[in-house]
Amino acid sequence: MRFSFRRLRAIVVKEWKDAVKNPQILLTSAMPIAFSFLFDRKETSDPTVLAFPLLLAVSITGAFVQANMVAEEKEKNTLRMLMLSPASPAEVLIGKSVATSALALLVMIGSIAVTSVPHVNPFELAALILPLLIAFLSFGTTIGLMSRTVTESSIVGLPLLLVVIMGPMLGSSLNMGWFSAMVDWLPTQHFVLGLIGLLEDGSFADIGVHLGALALWCAAACLLCLGVYSRKRFDK
Amino acid sequence: MEPAIEVKRLERRFRSKKALDRVSFEVGRGEIFGFLGPSGSGKTTMVKILTNQLLPSAGEAIVLGKRTAGKRDPQLLRKIGIMTDNSGMYERLTVYENLALFRGLYEAPERSVADTLESVGLAEDARTTVQQLSKGMKQRVALARALLHKPDLLFLDEPTSALDPMNTALIHETLRALNRQGTTIFLTTHDMAEAESLCDRVAFLHNGELAALDTPQRLKLKHADRPTITVIATDGRYVVNNDREGADRISAWMRAGQLLSIHSNEPTLGDIFVRLTGRTLS
Repeated sequence: MRFSFRRLRAIVVKEWKDAVKNPQILLTSAMPIAFSFLFDRKETSDPTVLAFPLLLAVSITGAFVQANMVAEEKEKNTLRMLMLSPASPAEVLIGKSVATSALALLVMIGSIAVTSVPHVNPFELAALILPLLIAFLSFGTTIGLMSRTVTESSIVGLPLLLVVIMGPMLGSSLNMGWFSAMVDWLPTQHFVLGLIGLLEDGSFADIGVHLGALALWCAAACLLCLGVYSRKRFDK
Repeated sequence: MEPAIEVKRLERRFRSKKALDRVSFEVGRGEIFGFLGPSGSGKTTMVKILTNQLLPSAGEAIVLGKRTAGKRDPQLLRKIGIMTDNSGMYERLTVYENLALFRGLYEAPERSVADTLESVGLAEDARTTVQQLSKGMKQRVALARALLHKPDLLFLDEPTSALDPMNTALIHETLRALNRQGTTIFLTTHDMAEAESLCDRVAFLHNGELAALDTPQRLKLKHADRPTITVIATDGRYVVNNDREGADRISAWMRAGQLLSIHSNEPTLGDIFVRLTGRTLS
């Protein structure tokens, strides 16, 4: 069946209305802005610090909020009703992701507004952020689908997200070879290195490796998410 | 005309336990079909197979001419409506917003939300958030959501469980009106009174097997082996046999103008279920 923009719009509108009436989502979304404000007061010359506000905004809003929203649908038994409607998995997942992305965008703008992130070409920045955001949205959806309740999604998601967010900051400072090696593979590390490249007036060619790695993470996360969604549609 | 539902020797196992065992039946177009059994008898498993949420272990099910294969079938999903006793709602959204989502998903006409709310008696509550509604009203919203796209076939899984008599009556009234317009209804319930008042035919499910299948009236007549008649006369209540002697006594009460009430004592569907399966429905 054809992709329907009317169905997509219905899901986006519902997600947005539901999100802005959900105190937990609003509080979680405000956290990156508050953290960015505090982080900006920290005196440091570490360039990875510059990426932190954006990383927090993308990961907390993109993954954590998405995971909570999906897990709540499972907990309240509304996801099954969506799955039993004519909406395709792509329409449902894209619809949810569009609403969360809009929220993430607002949080990113807010985070940047309260910090002194140096000027970067917005298009180049968007090229780095977009694959990372899609990957985090997919991870968030997957965590939400695997969890039975909102609480469970937080328990499952928080440790994973902490490693992914904090990894690039801790990787070099901790004297643990295996951890540093793992961090090198993380999408957040590629994002940070790519952003540093841009801050140092690097071109797309200079950060091509990181863009490629982020694109691979993005594709893998989407496939994982679609696979889990298709399996969760049915009972065993 | 092909039946709305055809089920042929359907089986479903969960590990070693058989939830459904070689079940066969047909549901005609425009029929209200009751699928009755106690909790855990396999009713919900059958609904899940018929709505493509679960694959059968053996046998086949054909719904509106399409074989269910456990795969998403958007064309079929457009023609069916599903309501269960735990159909989730978006509690923070209003009744209207909940239905507007599904109007969009089914690409239903703009007027469908208002019309459907009117039909379930909730037009006044459109702007109320769902979390402020009573359980009975939430069930009516769930029914409205299942009806929004005017389905040909409606699956109702325990639609009035734990509802008060007023909400139950409202839902029954809506279902009868829908059926008059030609909607086929597949109803699972353990409420015998509900089945008797709504269904054209009923099937009894016991331990995954069909124990009986017929109209409520024929089932009652078939199992009324010693029919009696209860008479309330001006001087008391009497139970008489349905024979010549009983007819003479009733006739005498009538001639004397003493007959106040009379009704036949055929067994209820609940009695028949107990007789056939040895257990109660609740």
